[in-house]
Amino acid sequence: MNTLFTLGAILVIIGGICDLFGAIGLLKFPNFYIRLHAATIGTIGGAAVPLFGVALLALSTNIPNKYAIAGASLITGIITLLAAPAGATALAYAAHKTNAVEWNPKTDHLKEARK
Amino acid sequence: MSFGVVMLMRIILPLYVTAFILYTVRAIKGPTIPDIILAVDCMSFDIAAFMAILAVYFKSVYLISGAITLALWAYLLDIYIANHLTKKEVGA
Repeated sequence: MNTLFTLGAILVIIGGICDLFGAIGLLKFPNFYIRLHAATIGTIGGAAVPLFGVALLALSTNIPNKYAIAGASLITGIITLLAAPAGATALAYAAHKTNAVEWNPKTDHLKEARK
Repeated sequence: MSFGVVMLMRIILPLYVTAFILYTVRAIKGPTIPDIILAVDCMSFDIAAFMAILAVYFKSVYLISGAITLALWAYLLDIYIANHLTKKEVGA
């Protein structure tokens, strides 16, 4: 019982630190395509990992409806793990397709391949 | 065991509140539309995670249903904006 609480607390603290680093990167990075890396840290490390931690944390305590909280946290974590990369990929595809973001690459292999 | 949850909340709360403020700054001043959507997306997923932590802290089961809805809504916003940018129409 105590082991579950310690494991969940460690996962939640890792999630908070990853969330802070992702927010700093999203604010400081210069370009949209570079900010996608920081956004991945903020969603997968900052939302999916603490949701799995909350599932363990709710199982270790004796609050009412603890199994409902643990199961719903696990389902939300799996949804985040599947949905966040797909959404970021769709957004990057749309931004590259419509030239909505200005960027100055040194080499562009995609453009050379499409010639 | 409740003492442990209170101590955990005391560590977690400044990290998450600082991250929310930084995401809000990027969402307000983001130069293009994909930047704004990316910041709102990160904010939604993190509010979902923080709402699950609050459900354990306040011993309430009703906060969890909001977390699932927020996680689904952020994905829907991404897909709709991408479709609108490429095809100039909103639809699935």
